[in-house]
Amino acid sequence: MNRLQSIAHGISRVGAIAGGALLLVASIVICIDITMRYAFSRTVGGADELSGYALAIASAWGFSAALLSRSHIRIDTAYVRVKRPVRAALDLLSLTVLTFFFALVTWHAWGVLRQSFVSGSRSLSEIEMPLVIPQGLWFAGLAFFIAVALLLLARALLACLTGNLDRLFELIGSKSAVAEAEEEIAAVEQAFEAEHKQ
Amino acid sequence: MTAAVSLIILLAVLGSSIAVAAGMGLTGVILNQIYSTMPLTRILGELTWSTTSNFILTAIPFYIMFGEILLRSGIAERMYGALVQWLSWLPGGLMHSNIGSCALFGSVSGSSVATAATIGVVAMGEIDKHKYNEPLFLGTLAAGGTLGILIPPSINMIIYGVMTDTSIPKLYLGGFIPGFILTVLFSLTVLIACIWRPHWGGEKISTSWEARIRLLPDLLPPLVLLMIVVGAIFFGIATATESAAVGIVGALVITAWRGRLTLTMLRDVCEATVRTTALVVAILVGAFFLNVVIQTIGLTQQLSRLITSYQLTPVQVLMAVIALYLVLGTFMEELSMMISTIPITTPLIVQAGYDSVWYGVLIVLLIQTAMISPPFGINLFVIQGIRGRGVLSDVERGSAPFVIALLIMIALICIYPDIVMWLPRVFG
Repeated sequence: MNRLQSIAHGISRVGAIAGGALLLVASIVICIDITMRYAFSRTVGGADELSGYALAIASAWGFSAALLSRSHIRIDTAYVRVKRPVRAALDLLSLTVLTFFFALVTWHAWGVLRQSFVSGSRSLSEIEMPLVIPQGLWFAGLAFFIAVALLLLARALLACLTGNLDRLFELIGSKSAVAEAEEEIAAVEQAFEAEHKQ
Repeated sequence: MTAAVSLIILLAVLGSSIAVAAGMGLTGVILNQIYSTMPLTRILGELTWSTTSNFILTAIPFYIMFGEILLRSGIAERMYGALVQWLSWLPGGLMHSNIGSCALFGSVSGSSVATAATIGVVAMGEIDKHKYNEPLFLGTLAAGGTLGILIPPSINMIIYGVMTDTSIPKLYLGGFIPGFILTVLFSLTVLIACIWRPHWGGEKISTSWEARIRLLPDLLPPLVLLMIVVGAIFFGIATATESAAVGIVGALVITAWRGRLTLTMLRDVCEATVRTTALVVAILVGAFFLNVVIQTIGLTQQLSRLITSYQLTPVQVLMAVIALYLVLGTFMEELSMMISTIPITTPLIVQAGYDSVWYGVLIVLLIQTAMISPPFGINLFVIQGIRGRGVLSDVERGSAPFVIALLIMIALICIYPDIVMWLPRVFG
């Protein structure tokens, strides 16, 4: 299971980086589009559509990365004030509801993808993108998210049954806002130190 | 009745620390089960696809990415150094540079957390060097950071604009003058505090006209980016999303020029962007679904009927909403607070006769207040995290005077709505 999770971690990281790269490329295409529009009064076409796909795909793949780093936002005002066993129960509840709701989303996303496949839909624009391509990548991200969520749920339940609450918190506990803030700061500090080395 | 039940379910679900995205979705599913015979969950696939592939929403990851690049680009430190020369002769010294740097950085960044973190890291070392009153110094950073979402661009304004169908360029224009006034109010707060207690203001910083002129070029990168990103929108050259894309490329060019552009840096930027984007989008998916359910079961109409039956005046409605946000803002995470409430409060306020652009700016001011209101204020955590010593209550204490400044600002735009509406009228 440990190995399974580190594989999942690896895949979701690659997914996130690829998603980010997709967004980066989209932003460059948009810049070219604007330049063309003003310099030559013509457009590349489809730049906005492509960046829309980039957002859908990147966020679907980002869901699992956020889950593995325990970053999905939770209101922990009550959470931090209850005893450890209650906290563990809340963690399990939160993950169960998250899995349930997004499984519902993924199930219906499959319907959307199947429909596009059956009817061979293309986007209503000059690039006439076969919708199966972006929707397929989007659905794959969602499906992977559900797989990761189920894996985490299984591991957390196991940890709970063996009475290893520390392990459970490590897997699915709510990360405090302070810890969140510290991650944001780490990136800035790295940049700050790099400047001073120069 | 429906309204009360809905609110109780939502609060119970979110309060039990269920992930906000799923909590809103679950509330939608439950309300759908109780009040509607139509199985609305069927639309979840189409709804998720159409909202997440919406071009306007791509502005969100673009601004997040823009911010991630900026904070790694090293422009903040030089900008701070230059502003020290220009602003620190005032009583309160560097604390004015803190606020000024936050305002300038905020005018290119769309996020308050990023603004507070970036300027905070640069400024933190100065407290001991110049013997400042620590809480007040920390307060200027926490409060100054909140300017990130008021001065355009602003990720929160984009979310508000998309969720309530309000023009994003008009929201940006609306935030401009309040952003400027609030910056002055923050500086005045420091000024008053340091005239009242001169020793809070630290040791005098030596400045000279020669240094002021020499360091001016360091202000150029943020000013150029500001011109590109905000100017393009105001003059109608590019949409908000397009200008964010241009900002990314501009920031990359500056980073490359500073010799900071590496593959590792780009990889970190991509990863961080997608993770933050996913959090926001997950909540939006839950919220959009809940929104559809709420509309189908007629919750908003019911609320407005309730208001009519109590014969509340528009001002009373407004005061009630402001009070609600001030209370929620103390303990609720700011982004979740905004996304989960605006679909309900905006129709009420618009129906009471207020402009949705004006209300968007008011919401942003209320979120800023929430960001520095304990116990949950994200900017308080950011600044305490950078400081890495002492207790959180120092930051809370130091931020308190700025909460008052924010409340004054809120009162100002309520009394003189034209502070917000003048620019959108002239340019719109």
